Parts: sequence; C-alpha cells; structure tokens
Amino acid sequence: MLKMQSIRKSYRTDTIETHALRDFSLEVAEGEFVSVTGPSGSGKTTFLNIAGLLETPTGGQYLLDGQDVSNLNDRERSRLRNEKIGFIFQGFNLIPDLNLFDNIDVPLRYRGFNAKERKKRIEKVLEQVGLSARAKHLPAQLSGGQQQRVAIARALAGEPRFLLADEPTGNLDSLMARQVMELLEFINEWGTTIVMVTHDPDLARRAHRNIQVVDGQLSDLQRAHVVAEAANA
Amino acid sequence: MFGYYFSLAMRSLRSTPVMSALMIAAIAVGVGASMTTLTLNYMMSQNALQHKDQVLYAVQLDSWGAENAANNDSQMPWELSYRDATALLRSDIPVRQVAMHRWGGTVSQENSELRPFTADIRVTTADFFALFDIPFIHGGTWNKEADTNPQRQVVLSKATNEKLFNGENSVGRTINLSGEPYTVMGVIEHWNPSPKVHDLNNGAFNDSADIYLPFGLHRQLQIYSWGNTNGWKSEDIESYEDFLNSHYVWIQYWVELENSQQKKDYENFLTAYIQSQKAEGRYPRPLKFGLTQPSEWLVVNEVLSDDNRVLGWLSLAFLLVCVINAVALLLAKFLRKAPEAGVRRALGASRGAIFSQHLMESGCIGLIGGIAGILLTVAGLSGIRLLQMGRFDNIASMDWVMVLAAIGLAIVASLLAGLYPAWRISRTNPSIYLKTQ
Repeated sequence: MLKMQSIRKSYRTDTIETHALRDFSLEVAEGEFVSVTGPSGSGKTTFLNIAGLLETPTGGQYLLDGQDVSNLNDRERSRLRNEKIGFIFQGFNLIPDLNLFDNIDVPLRYRGFNAKERKKRIEKVLEQVGLSARAKHLPAQLSGGQQQRVAIARALAGEPRFLLADEPTGNLDSLMARQVMELLEFINEWGTTIVMVTHDPDLARRAHRNIQVVDGQLSDLQRAHVVAEAANA
Repeated sequence: MFGYYFSLAMRSLRSTPVMSALMIAAIAVGVGASMTTLTLNYMMSQNALQHKDQVLYAVQLDSWGAENAANNDSQMPWELSYRDATALLRSDIPVRQVAMHRWGGTVSQENSELRPFTADIRVTTADFFALFDIPFIHGGTWNKEADTNPQRQVVLSKATNEKLFNGENSVGRTINLSGEPYTVMGVIEHWNPSPKVHDLNNGAFNDSADIYLPFGLHRQLQIYSWGNTNGWKSEDIESYEDFLNSHYVWIQYWVELENSQQKKDYENFLTAYIQSQKAEGRYPRPLKFGLTQPSEWLVVNEVLSDDNRVLGWLSLAFLLVCVINAVALLLAKFLRKAPEAGVRRALGASRGAIFSQHLMESGCIGLIGGIAGILLTVAGLSGIRLLQMGRFDNIASMDWVMVLAAIGLAIVASLLAGLYPAWRISRTNPSIYLKTQ
C-alpha cells in the first residue's frame, strides 16, 4: 500500500538546515494498522505529511498503491489525496462555519460527485459514527469526541483506502479516546489501511505494528527488521 | 464548482460582516467616484451623427485677416459669414447642405390660455431635417424656395406642438411668432442630441430648438444670430444689408457628400470659391478650408475638455487607491482563514481550487460593490445636475452601457484586488495549519 525508500526531508532557512527525515524507509501493507510513536520533534508528523501528499520529500522514493508519487504535480497529488487518503487530526480541523453535513461534503465536492451521491454518502457515514441526528449542527455545538467522530466520518465519506491519523485522541478524555480508537479499529477491520501517530503507548500497542521514529529515522531495531524483510523478499 | 464557490463566498462574507462591508464600501466608493466622472466623459463624447459620420462635413473657410489667424487649433473660424454661406448654397455638388444659426422669438396663441413664451428658434435651410436624419410626426419641411425667398412657414418640435396644439396634427395651422402669423408645415419627432454636434457654438449640451424657420426670412425679419457672432476686425455696419455683407461669421454650415469623388469635387469648388474671393480682395490668408466629420468636429471643438480627461484619470487613480485598500483587507481576511484553506487542501483541494474559491469571494465583493457603486454614481450625477441647474440634464445620467460598465469595472477591480491575496492563500503550506489549528 505504502512504500517509502530512503526518504529525506529537510527544511532550510537562511542560516540553518534542519533534517526532519533522514534515510527513512518504511513499508505498510494493505489493511495494516500501524502506529507511529517517537519523541516530539522526531519527524512523525513530517512522515505523516509526506505520506498524505501534503509535503514533498527532498529525496528518496515514495510509492503509494504502486504509483511513484514523489514527483507528481500539485493537481495530481490533490486528486490522489482526495481519492485515496483520509485524514484525522488531533484538533479535529472541522470548518467552524459549516454544519456537520457541509463539513463532510467538502472532500466529496472536490471529488466531483453529484448532489444525490454526496447526500447518500454523507448520510451513510453520519449513521456509522452515530451522529445522523446532528447533521445540521455546527461543530461548536458538539463535544470533542463527537467532533472527532465527525472528522472520521468526513475522512471516510470518500471511501479512502488509506487513513492517516495524527494524534486522533490527543484532545480527548480517556472515555472518548477509547470510543474513537474502537471506531478506528472497526474501520480497519473493514479493510482500510491506517497509519496513526500517537504518544499514547496503550493506543500504540493496539495497532498491528508499532514503529518508532527517532531523529528522523526509524529506530535501529526496526531498521534492521526492514532490511531483513527486504533481504527475505 | 462555480455554484459551490459562490455559496462559500456569500457564507464567508456573512461571517465577517464588518470587514465585508468595509471592502464593499472601498470598491463602491471607488467605482462611484470613477463612474460619475467616466459617465460624464462618456456622455460628452457621444456622437449623435455617428451613423452618418462618413458623409457629413462641417465646413470652415479661413476668411480671417492676414495677421489674424483664428484663435483655435484649426486656425479657422468655426462659422461662416452670411455672404459666404449664401454663396456656398449655390453649389449643387453636395447631396444636401445646411446653413443655419440660432435665433429666438416670442410665441403667443390667440384665444388660448397659454402664456406667451420665448422659443429657441433655428433658422435653417430645408435640408436640415434630411441631412441630420430627423423624422417627422406630421407633415414635412418647407419648400426649398423658402431658403431664398421669404415664406412665413415653420416646423415645430414635438414638445412645442404638444404645448401649442396638445400634440394634434397641426400642419396647416398657424402660430403667432413675435406678433406675426406662421403656417405650420411639419412637426418633428423628439430630437435632442447631446452633445449638440450640429451646433457646438451655442452650448454643446443645451436643448435643441423649439421651432425651425426658413433661411430665406433673413432680410424680411432682419434676423441676427442669438449665438456667437465673431470677426477679426472692426467694420462699419450701418444697415442690415451691411451686416449680411460683412466679414462677421455666425452661420454654421454642413454638407452631405456621398463619396470621395463628391468630396473631391466639393474641395475643388471651395478652392475655386476662395480664389475668386481673393481676386476680390478678401481672404488675405493662405488658401485654407476645412471639411470635418462629426466625430472629429467634436474633438476639435474640445467638447470633452482636457480638464474632463484629467478628471477621468484622477478618478481612476482614486479607484486604484480603493483597490489597494481592498487588497489589504482581503489579505487580512484570507490569511485569517488560512487554517480552513489548509483543511480543504488536505481534503483534496488543489492550489487552483483554493485560488478560484477565494477569487470568487473577491468577485462577489466586486458585484455587490458594483451595485452599491451604481447607486453612488446615480447620486453623484444627481448632485451634478443640481449644481449645474439643468445644464447637464441631458448628459448627467447613466445609460445601460454605463450601468454594465460600472458592474464590470467593480468586478475587474475586485478581482485585481483579490489576485494577490488569493494567490497567497493558495500557496500556503497546509501542514502548518493542520497541526496547530
């Protein structure tokens, strides 16, 4: 599903060059649930942004669903992002002026679905996250957990094959966090590949696999594992 | 996506009413100020004879003194003397030709409750109506003989006919002009070109005449011009005949020449005429005459003055200042919404989609600003009409062209204002806002 080889990402100012990712290689199989952990500033979010085609790597190769996406233009990256990738953020990132229905409608608009298809999909995902009755509510009228469920619904509406979650439970209390996590597990069981960045070791352990990012690289142990897997392949 | 962007734009404008109102006001004031000036300039530049621009010519003859060039860019007097005009009328080259000037008189009707009133009169040759394409409601013009032999006949404007005869067919009826009876030969349709290209010497934006009188009445009525009478030297005038034979110019002269050959023939005719006058001791200056088309006639007579042009540019400069203000406001507003743009990017919007969405918002501001600008323009033009006390009634008003131009100008101005802010927001890195929102 996702294959990164020797990905590098550096940010340059006039005087300083910061290496956010260095020689970063990772493979995620279709249907996997992978958690990503690591200290703050280790490069987890940079990895997620590159995986989600929000940023381009400075070097290396990134294959998404078998397609080399390292050098696509903005239009093609946006299309792929819209069709194949769903995002869930720590801060929910719902558009405050839009009600739940219209928030979920956003990616479907860019996808070019007609009104009937959009309505069908929105109603379906709202039902899946248990918020059908709140479709006309604004995000501010919901609790944090409910907002995150709306964000998940929005991510799922386009039926992406790949879900990227950046600290999805970071702003939630433990009860809400557990509910959201159960929802993600349920989604994964239906076949969606999930990569989740988290600081919470308990949540990380619930994934199929946990990778650790340290100083812009997979930890030594995991790199050895990747190399061994590559050799076996 | 056009409809979606439009609904997002309107939603965004409603969500920040004060800032939206400021931006709309900036565009509206700029459009209002510039369109008020541009409308005046546009209306002043209208050529009511455009459809005959290729065949009509104002005639000028350089009859001035050896050391006295006429004081205008053409260096020829605008009008002709009576003596020259009547001589030119003898030519049979033009399809039509008109010698004319402004006059006035008192109209009174016996057995009528109508109070006597002063009428604006145009003394002219019979071709006037056909040459300037003026349609008749009733009757027609007088016989051509009346151009040279006095005949008490008139043609009425539509308004005068309504005033005197309640709009009925008055052909054959009599009006009393300065105490003398005149027979009505015809009534013309409403005809009030502005600017009055056929007579720019007597108020380019004044109303057209109320009554038209045959040219052949000069000697009988001893008619002097109610417009300008100019000369380059002092001349002893002891009788009306002296005045008619003097060098004083006061007759406007137009000819209709169908093709270039006819024009060339007429130029030869004018050349021969001037040479004949030189032989009689007149026309001391080098041989020179002018045949000027209506569009050019408006230009050389500076109907749209340099001051008007400068004012037009200044008003556009003011609009530019308003646009720059709108740029700053839009930039502030769009950058405040950068996190939302980041979310949209993450959800699949391309940079182009974000750019289009925000440019649409600018366009909506322009559309609303344009409508408000039209209202301000109408108010501005009303103010000018009030200040000018009726003198600009014909030109200080918007036609559909200017209404559409105002909306177009507002939309273009706001799109220009929105280009940079929309570009900026479309280029921002979404990941920054996704993490920190």
